[in-house]
Amino acid sequence: MDFDFSDEQEQLREAVHKWVGKAYTFERRRAASIAGGFDAAAWKEMADLGLTGLLAPESLGGMGLGPVEAMVTIEELGRGLVMEPLAQSLVTCAVVSAYGSPQIQNDWVPKIADGTAIVVLAYQERAARYHLDHCDSKAVQVPGGYVINGVKSLVTVGDLADAYLVSARVNSVMGLFLVERLSSGVTTRGYGTQDGARAAEVSLKNAPATLICANGLQALEHAVDIGIACTCAEAVGAMERTLEMTIEYLKTRKQFGAPIGNFQALRHRAADMKMQLELARSMSYYAALKLNAPRPERRAAMARAKYQLGVSMRFVGQQAVQLHGGIGVTDDYIVSHYFKRLTQLEMTFGDSLHHLAEVSAQMQDSAGVFA
Amino acid sequence: MDLTFTPEEQQFREHIRGWVGANLPKDISQKVHNALHLSREDIQTWAKILGKKGSLGYGWPTEFGGPGWNAVQRHLFEEECALAGAPRLLPFGPVMVAPVIMAFGTAEQQRRFLPGIASGEVWWSQGYSEPDSGSDLASLKTRAIRNGASYRVTGQKTWTTLGQYGDWIFCLVRTSTEGKPQTGISFLLIDMKSPGVTVRPIIMLDGGHEVNEVFFDDVEVPAENLIGEENKGWTYAKHLLSHERTNIADVNRAKRELERLKRIAKLEGVYDDLRFRDEIAKLEVDVIALEMMVLRVLSAQKTGKNALNIAGLLKIRGSEIQQRYTELMMLAAGPFALPLIREAMEAGWQGDQVAKDAAAFPLGATHCAPLASQYFNNRKTTIYGGSNEVQRNIVAQTLLG
Repeated sequence: MDFDFSDEQEQLREAVHKWVGKAYTFERRRAASIAGGFDAAAWKEMADLGLTGLLAPESLGGMGLGPVEAMVTIEELGRGLVMEPLAQSLVTCAVVSAYGSPQIQNDWVPKIADGTAIVVLAYQERAARYHLDHCDSKAVQVPGGYVINGVKSLVTVGDLADAYLVSARVNSVMGLFLVERLSSGVTTRGYGTQDGARAAEVSLKNAPATLICANGLQALEHAVDIGIACTCAEAVGAMERTLEMTIEYLKTRKQFGAPIGNFQALRHRAADMKMQLELARSMSYYAALKLNAPRPERRAAMARAKYQLGVSMRFVGQQAVQLHGGIGVTDDYIVSHYFKRLTQLEMTFGDSLHHLAEVSAQMQDSAGVFA
Repeated sequence: MDLTFTPEEQQFREHIRGWVGANLPKDISQKVHNALHLSREDIQTWAKILGKKGSLGYGWPTEFGGPGWNAVQRHLFEEECALAGAPRLLPFGPVMVAPVIMAFGTAEQQRRFLPGIASGEVWWSQGYSEPDSGSDLASLKTRAIRNGASYRVTGQKTWTTLGQYGDWIFCLVRTSTEGKPQTGISFLLIDMKSPGVTVRPIIMLDGGHEVNEVFFDDVEVPAENLIGEENKGWTYAKHLLSHERTNIADVNRAKRELERLKRIAKLEGVYDDLRFRDEIAKLEVDVIALEMMVLRVLSAQKTGKNALNIAGLLKIRGSEIQQRYTELMMLAAGPFALPLIREAMEAGWQGDQVAKDAAAFPLGATHCAPLASQYFNNRKTTIYGGSNEVQRNIVAQTLLG
């Protein structure tokens, strides 16, 4: 039982922290947001730092690191409100490495790892909400592979990505496939999301696909669980910065002749925000450290973590805006952008109610020893 | 980073588990597991068993006869005791006064007082709060006036937990009214059998006699019972609080009580009511998150890195959780939490004659009897030990200055 970071992990954090502070300014983010919600140059810079290959095996050009390194990295990106979807690369790298054939691994993992290919999850459908086993898309075997018909929603940078990991049913069993965006039968409609980033609807009409894993639910659950751990880490970074800005504001903003941070109602709110941040950080650690646990334990842990994180990020985001007063609800001031990002993160990979239901359904009779 | 305990720590846990299993009297653990009334004898029996093993002062350094365990070992010991249904150890002797005697007492005071604390033979009470000094403790007024070789003490302490059983009481008393309130306070040990000491019960909202008022009417206290220097008592009392104390969160007991909540919810048929079950699920996440916070603090204590100053958060969250599980247990029983049957809160109650005719008056479910009382009683947790509002002030102070 040990919550210390290794020297290497601290160095990684420091490197990412430096890049974010120097390169990823609010002005740059805003410009990228207006230009469509994805900054290709920033992506390249992150790739040059090796971040896109963090979880990929060294034999395939990655850094071969683990969940704690991913957490440390993404926390820092969260602090800087970085919207380029590194987590998607970490997830798809890990999933293709774990479930893909040697050939698919060789074809795709090095490209995802060095950032030249962006591969993202395309599993959400209009009627599925957050349920991973709900899938209306269908795959049919054809000579040389499969073709898929269906529509996937909210695909992260879906009109820019090079390929997708797509869930689709072969008869009644859901498989996980790789589909390239430039293949025939793939059309996209891109749009901005509430947090300033980008997503797309992806329509597949007899789109050629390569099977990654016949037990697609198992692979998709694994993918989403890595995504949840990443989302938790990002939210911790974003909440940490949000609280810092709020504290700074409480110390400097004066009303009634005193800094508003002198008033007990606001001081207690700040203490409550700190509570939510530390609960969230604790559960983000928990998520990262349970990511390699056996499936049922891993799933239960991610549901617990995402529930706590969802509750925390909603509270911290809302209260940060409230404590900033009028300036908190403007587009000009950065705190509203943190709030919107936190809101979106709560609704990514399952919101709080969804995960509460998961915790409730999987609840064991015996509390035992949690750790 | 690693969530699992080391093989040595696991082994330590197994050892403690085996020892507690073999030495904790079953009639006592049964009472704890069912929240039945614990007598003075129950509490002291367990304290003496631990005292005999040398584990009552389990946080003590070896030079004072303690086992010299580190923070993680102490946590594992507390956890195994809690999960096995051991009564809570009263902190007043081994956890509160003993470290002050060790740090600031004379060698003679250490020889005189520590053995009785370590063995569990001497029952200590705490004399801090006064009727007009709650959260603002430094405003306390109980006077101690030096008169030759002794002090004469006059005043009143209150909220003295289980003071009706107390042999000795450690008190913060005012020895000076000069300067800031904090600088006129001394730390005095008082024999409760001294003439002029009167203990009066305060009956709590659940009907229980758990706390007392203690009156001092010109009580003579030998000056040799003063700890350290006169007017430095506030510093000594604070010395205790300066240590990060994870047991303030009481997470181990919360884990045990979460299991009991599930048991009660099943017996009462609400475990499968999703609306109710979700409330248990929320509490389960709360307890895990609290445990992770506690483990973070323990890890920092073990390695000396990333020190965490979150004792205030642990107190707030731990106490809220204690209130929540008692609340949910009561709600699980629903209307059957309402009858006030005192006999049913004692061990061995078999249900009364009327209950034998369950159809006529289904009062046989003894697990329901203590639930409302327990809920009422636990309202204290967010009030004592520095109310949660004071804790928020402290947390805010670290954030905002």
